[in-house]
Amino acid sequence: MNWALNNLELVFQLTLTHLLVSLLPLVIGFFVAVILARVTSNRFAPSVTGALGAVYAIPSLALFVTLPVLIGTDFTGPVNVIIALTIYVVSAMFFSARDAFASLPKPTLEFAQAQGLSSWQRFIHVELPLAIPGLIAGARVAAASTVSMASIGAVVGVRNLGYLFLDGFQRKITEEVLTGLLAIFAIAVLLDLALWLLGRALTPWQRGTRV
Amino acid sequence: MFEIPEFWGWLTSPENWEGRYGIPSLLAEHLVLTLAAIFAAGLIAVPLGIVIGHFNRGTALVVLLGSASRAVPTMGLLFALVMLLGVQQRELAVVIALVAIAFSPILAGSYAGIGAIEKHIPDAAKAQGLTTWQLLRIVEIPLALPAIIGGLRVAWIQVVSTVVLAPLVGLSGLGFGIIQGLALRNFDQVVASALMIVVVTVLGDQLLGFAQKTQAFRLGHLSGGNSK
Repeated sequence: MNWALNNLELVFQLTLTHLLVSLLPLVIGFFVAVILARVTSNRFAPSVTGALGAVYAIPSLALFVTLPVLIGTDFTGPVNVIIALTIYVVSAMFFSARDAFASLPKPTLEFAQAQGLSSWQRFIHVELPLAIPGLIAGARVAAASTVSMASIGAVVGVRNLGYLFLDGFQRKITEEVLTGLLAIFAIAVLLDLALWLLGRALTPWQRGTRV
Repeated sequence: MFEIPEFWGWLTSPENWEGRYGIPSLLAEHLVLTLAAIFAAGLIAVPLGIVIGHFNRGTALVVLLGSASRAVPTMGLLFALVMLLGVQQRELAVVIALVAIAFSPILAGSYAGIGAIEKHIPDAAKAQGLTTWQLLRIVEIPLALPAIIGGLRVAWIQVVSTVVLAPLVGLSGLGFGIIQGLALRNFDQVVASALMIVVVTVLGDQLLGFAQKTQAFRLGHLSGGNSK
């Protein structure tokens, strides 16, 4: 891995951009998905799930270059990529987020209401904490695919780790392409670990009972 | 937004429908690559998933493969394989990459489909005197079919999206219009190509979703309407 050692600074810079372009959609998408899942009534849930499922099927490169027509952004640059990835995170997480809220124990919710909690207090103090394991599980799936998909942003001019694929291919440096592959894999694994730890930290009452 | 968009002109101009890089030729190449990879992956992954689900052995392998494959960037896999096998072998390299991408979701779907069958069902079938082969063929595989189709559906999305990147390594397919259009700053071509990709991908996904629902519905009827 001589190439990686000789270009450590470049790899580091690209890693930072890659993290930014992946984390921003993940955080925004997470909250949008949670809110959307919570406010969508049972009647509309199947249509929303269907629509988001169809959006999820759109190849990322196609979505990156369709957004400029819809919202008037530039064809290249990070804005489309961040918006597109956010849309994917919402589509990927909506179903699992709804599931997480739907599977909360009914008696607990009724008890909270009987205690006089307003619906907002109940959401913040009871529903959200109890839904954490399900929400984190959904976020872990979304995180891995977002980090991987972000690399395609390089095709529309975002200088992240995907740039190593394009540049390495053009200059016939196999090590450069492999460096990109390994770096993205490492980020995905570390992010997965971080989310798992976050889930544990946020649900201290479950310690010892969960694997 | 309500005027006729400019890319429509590109899409309807007859010269873009002819020749090696015409729309029909690109579409055909896109579909052949995608379907060949899914078929090849399914040939191994479906039986393997069924065996793993039936004997309940090697479950950890499926889970590990599932999480590992999500963390591998499909674009990087495509580029790395083409470089490792050499540019002369790029068709083979792309197909291998696509098969690898399709493998894990198909395996997971087949395994999950068989694994989710409640234990009393195969037990009852065995008590009726069915051999293992009959049990698989008549009971377990039909019950697992919606999940197997679900796995193929995920594979379709993954593979068809990766084929969009094939022009970057010297093949073609519908992504060609995006890559060439971006390089030449011909954005009508970019948008028209992207829209075709969206239509093809979403159509395929909905078709598989329909097959999945139909099969699940059929099973619901067979078991008196209360199957999950």
